[in-house]
Parts: sequence; structure tokens; C-alpha cells
Amino acid sequence: MSENIIETNGLTRNYGDICALKPLDLQVPEGEWLSVMGHSGSGKSTLMNLVGGLDRPSAGSLRVGGKDLLALTEDGLARFRRESVGIIFQQHHMVPYLTAVENVMMAQYFHSVPDEAEARSALERVGLGHRLKNRPGELSGGEQQRVCIARAIINSPKLLLGDEPTGNLDHKSTIMVMELLKELRAEERFTVIMVTHNQEVAAWGDRTIYLDDGVLVREERTAG
Amino acid sequence: MILIFLQSSVFSLNTLVTLKVLESNERDTMAISLKLIPHLLAWFGIVLILLRGFAGRRSVVTVASIAGFVIGVTGTCILFRSFPVAIPFVVVKSALGVSFLFLWGASIAAIYRSTGRGITIFQGERRGNFPLGAGIAACMASIVAGAICTCGLPAAGSTLLTLLLLAVAAGALAYALAYSAQALDKLLPNSYTVSLSGMLVAVVALLLCSSSSLLRLDLFSPLSMKVMKGVHDFVHQFMESILIPDHLFIRSYIWKFIGLLFGKEVGFWGGLVIWFIPALLIAMAIGFERLPSVAHLRQGAKRRTVMAAAIRERRCRLVIPLLSVVVFATAAYQSSFPSVEYWDPKPLPITADQSGEITIPKKGEIDLEDGKLHKYLFKQGGREVRFFVLMTPAGQLTVDLDACAICKPDGYGQAEGSVICYYCKTLIPLDTVGKPGGCNPVPVAFSVKGENVVIDGITLVNSWSTTVQATARVKEGGK
Repeated sequence: MSENIIETNGLTRNYGDICALKPLDLQVPEGEWLSVMGHSGSGKSTLMNLVGGLDRPSAGSLRVGGKDLLALTEDGLARFRRESVGIIFQQHHMVPYLTAVENVMMAQYFHSVPDEAEARSALERVGLGHRLKNRPGELSGGEQQRVCIARAIINSPKLLLGDEPTGNLDHKSTIMVMELLKELRAEERFTVIMVTHNQEVAAWGDRTIYLDDGVLVREERTAG
Repeated sequence: MILIFLQSSVFSLNTLVTLKVLESNERDTMAISLKLIPHLLAWFGIVLILLRGFAGRRSVVTVASIAGFVIGVTGTCILFRSFPVAIPFVVVKSALGVSFLFLWGASIAAIYRSTGRGITIFQGERRGNFPLGAGIAACMASIVAGAICTCGLPAAGSTLLTLLLLAVAAGALAYALAYSAQALDKLLPNSYTVSLSGMLVAVVALLLCSSSSLLRLDLFSPLSMKVMKGVHDFVHQFMESILIPDHLFIRSYIWKFIGLLFGKEVGFWGGLVIWFIPALLIAMAIGFERLPSVAHLRQGAKRRTVMAAAIRERRCRLVIPLLSVVVFATAAYQSSFPSVEYWDPKPLPITADQSGEITIPKKGEIDLEDGKLHKYLFKQGGREVRFFVLMTPAGQLTVDLDACAICKPDGYGQAEGSVICYYCKTLIPLDTVGKPGGCNPVPVAFSVKGENVVIDGITLVNSWSTTVQATARVKEGGK
């Protein structure tokens, strides 16, 4: 049985009087693809931000990859993010005046040192070998999201977080992105946590949890 | 960061204290005590760095530092006491010079050791962190620091009792300072560590900084002077080796260019090159060092992590030689501008009487016997001669040209216990003024008639013409 990469115990996040995430106990085994569903404001993105080290909890405990994120300093948290986490957002957050390969190299730069050959090869892996020198404005939505995937996996993270990565994509592009993620996950063996509103996308995961008003209300395993 | 902080503290304090001493214009006990502060602060810094560097050997370092300081103070005092007035400084200066050379060489070797992979320079290097190694290092640095501190004191003829009292006082002071350093060391976070090479560089830099603030222990000016003389001699020797008497065949316009080589700037920059070139070469060697091979690592992120760590490590190793360059440069710069202001009176015009004699009353408007330099300007037949009258500490009046037989006649200023040649910055102890040779002011024959000093005007003009004007032409590039 594989070890848990994520372990939360009474994980809570308050924003003033608003409790975005109520005490949550969650375990995610290493290598699992977990889909997180729920209505807007249910706490999905809050959970994602906490697990990704982008935000700090108000109470409870949170261990990711054996690290107690509450005990980490700001520098430690930054190191954790750059070494252990890859994030794909719905809005691609790419630098508009840099080319696709330069956007990928940017992640390398913040991790350690840039290596253009490796960045090119990552883009080739996501099927964008012919679009290396194009800027984000010259790429389609699906292509931009594939650049984001290359950027997210370039530092070999243990954990890949997707915050509605297919939210802006059409059906064909969505399938393409999901197939790509599945393929990469099989090769790299990272854990995926994906927030989505789309039941069909959630079904690509091994397990789906449902949040409602900051509370885990239900979870189900994907058949097959 | 600690080192830079200490350096700047020492410099600023030294300036403040010097100003204070100059203001008071008296060598009272308070002024002397104030003047010791920068040196003691530098020693405090040395102890702190050694405590940090030899973590786990704090007691040994503290005891050895205190003992070394007391030995340095009493040893220098014994030297002052044992030798005639003029000799001890040469002995102290030579001893310090040798110690510096040793420490400087050791620090350069340590830097090289820390940068050259798998190279062992010091045999038994591992013993460095043992109590004996830590103790010897602390003791040696403290002896030098103690000697420097004592050099700031007036060379009074001390009795055995005063010597004993001085040793006790030095011990008490060292005890207080060493334990303050220990207390400060305990307050510093454990993450601030000092490597062997960093420690040596810091200690040498602080000693150099401390000594360069002492007018007579300045080590850089003699080095630049040696370079200047070396270049000068080389040019002449080179000419003679190819059997060309340069003074006859080389025309004056060519000397205008060759003369540039004999300038003090050449000495200064040449000295800097000699002083810094090992550290700069090491910095360059580190800069061009090959990064480790990462071809065997499959995962790109891991490859880049290893590469980034190697680059980071290389940058860290560059810090020490570059820091040494900065601190040595600061000390050398400070050394070029000694912090003591010179007594430099404006030459008073003076004339000869009908018999051609210049008569200056010993006690008139100016007191010639006040121990200060008194400059005069004598004009005859379109020629101008600058000379000065001075009463040496031994109580002898001396009349000298305001120039020497070697340098361009920029003249002399008076500092504490010495006169200084403005051209080459050589310090000449007051006791030797009036003796001919080297960079000493050229002595002029004179007589004392009653309450007057009498100098023959023609002798004065001839002396200036034969020894000084020729030198002036050579130094300015003319022939």
C-alpha cells in the first residue's frame, strides 16, 4: 500500500468571519488522481491553495510529501512550491511577451537554472514541438494549456494541482489535455489533484470528493 | 557582513579618534587611550572571528588570545626598552612585516586550498581545528595585534615596574575584551559560520587595517616605494646592460615618456598588483572552473538542481577572494592617505645680508626650538631655494633643504615623531633628520652665532642646484 502524500487533520481556513474550509480530514495516497468537485464558493480552490503552499491554514494540520507546511517559513514554503508542486490554472498565467519555450524556461529559472534543450523537449512531449517560438497570443486555448502543462511538469513535481484547467476549453481540447495528463502521470508517477465543475473531467480521476460550503460531503471511487 | 561592519567601524572610529587627538593637540593620557580604541576594536573583531571559526574551541581561543595580546604588548615594550631610540621601530616593523607576510601567505594558501578540489597545501590540515591549532592561530594573531597596539604608545623609557604594570593592564583589558567577544559570539546565530580561509583573510585584513592606521607601521607605502625604485633601477640597468649610457644618448623628449615610469602612481599601482594578484588569480580560477558533469542523471530537474548547487557553491567560494580584495584595497587606500594631518607651514621669504649670510633669530617671532618644522624661501639671482629649520627631539638644531636627493622636490611635512616626504610618502624619524642620504632632507651647513642661526646663502643655492634641480628634471621627465 502506497504512503499518503497529503494528510490533513482538521484543516480550516477562515477569511475574517467567513469560513471557507471547515475542519477537513483528508488523505491522498501517492500517485492517486483526486478530483475535487463542488459549487462555486464550496472551498475547492481554498483547499488547492492550501495544499499547494500558496496559502496558510487558519487551524488544523497539513502534511504534504512528509513536510509539515505549517512549520515552514516563507522561504521554506517557496522552496516546497518550486521543488514539489506543479500548478495548472484555468487562466494560463503565461508571460505574454515570452515565447512558449521561454515561458517553460521561466519555471526552470525559479527552480534552479534554465536549460533550453530540456524545455524544448518538454514542449515536444506535449505535442508543441512546432510552436516553440510562438508567443501565448499566437496559440489556441488548448495549446496554451499544453504549454502550461509542460511548465508545470518541467521541474518533476511530486504533486500536480489543476484548478479547473479545462474550464476554458472546448470538448475536443479538453479530451486532448486530459489524455496528455494521463499519459504524463503514467510516465512521471506524480499525484494529481484536480478541481473541476465538469463531471466528465472528474471521471478521469481515481477518486472524486465533493465539497459543499467548506465541508467534505461525499466521496466516490471511479469505476474501472 | 560582520567583517564589513567591523572594517567600517574601525575606519570611522579611527577617523573620529584621530580628529579628537588633533583637536586636543596634546599627547595626554586621554588622547593616547582614545587612539588605542580602533586597534583594540580590531583585535576584538579578530577574537570574535576566531571564536566563530573555531567553534567548540572557545576556551582555548579565549585563553590563547589573552596570552598572545599580553605577550605582544610586553614584548614590544621590552624591545623599546632594550634598544636605543632609533632601532626598535625597525625591529618591530620587520617582525610585523614577516608576520604579515606569513599570515598573508597562509590566507592566500587557505583560499587556494578551499577552491582547488582535492589539493592539500597544509600538511596535517585536519589538526587546524584541534585545540593546539586554534590556540596557535589565536596566540599569533593576538601577539601581532598587541604589538600594533603598543606601537601607538609613546616610546617612553619604561622601568621594570611600569612594564609589569603595563602587562597587568594589558591582561585585564584583554580579559575584558575577550570575554565580551565570547558573549557576543554566543548571541550570534549558529548559522553564521566562518571557514578556515575566511577566518585567515578576516584576521589578516583586520591586522592590516589596524596597522595601516598607525603612521609608522604603514606597510603599503614601502611596498609601492620599492616598486617605484625597482622600475627606476630596471630602466637604468637595462640601458647599461645593452651598453648604452642613457643619460648621454636618450634625448629629453624620450625621457618625457620614460619619466612617466618613475612616477609614484606606477609604484602605487604596481604595489596594488603585487598585493592583489594572487587573490585575483584565484578568483579567476574559480570563475573559470568547470561545472560537474550531470550527464548520468536522467531527470532534468535533478540535473538542474545539481548544476544550480554547483554554481551557487562556486559563487560562495568567490566571495572570500573577492572580499579579501575589497578589504585589502580599503586598507591599502587608507594606507596611502595616513590619517594624521601634517604640520606644513608656508615658507617665509627670507633674504641674505650684504655678506651673503642668512640670519634667523632662534627666539624671535618664531621659536626655532619648539620642535616644529619652520620653512623658509630664499631667492637669489632668479633662483628659489626652500629650506627648513628644525629642533630634533635630541635637542639639536638642524637646517635642511626642503627636498631630498632622490625624489621630485615636493617638500616635507611634519607628522607625529617624523617628517614625511610628500612625493614618495616615506616617513623619516625626527631623530635622523639632519643626517644625509636616502630620502632624508639634504642637510645644509650652518652655524649658531649667539642667539641666531646663520646660513651661507651661496652654499644654500649651490646645494639646491647640485642635488635638487637635477632630481627635479629627471622626475619630471626632462633631462
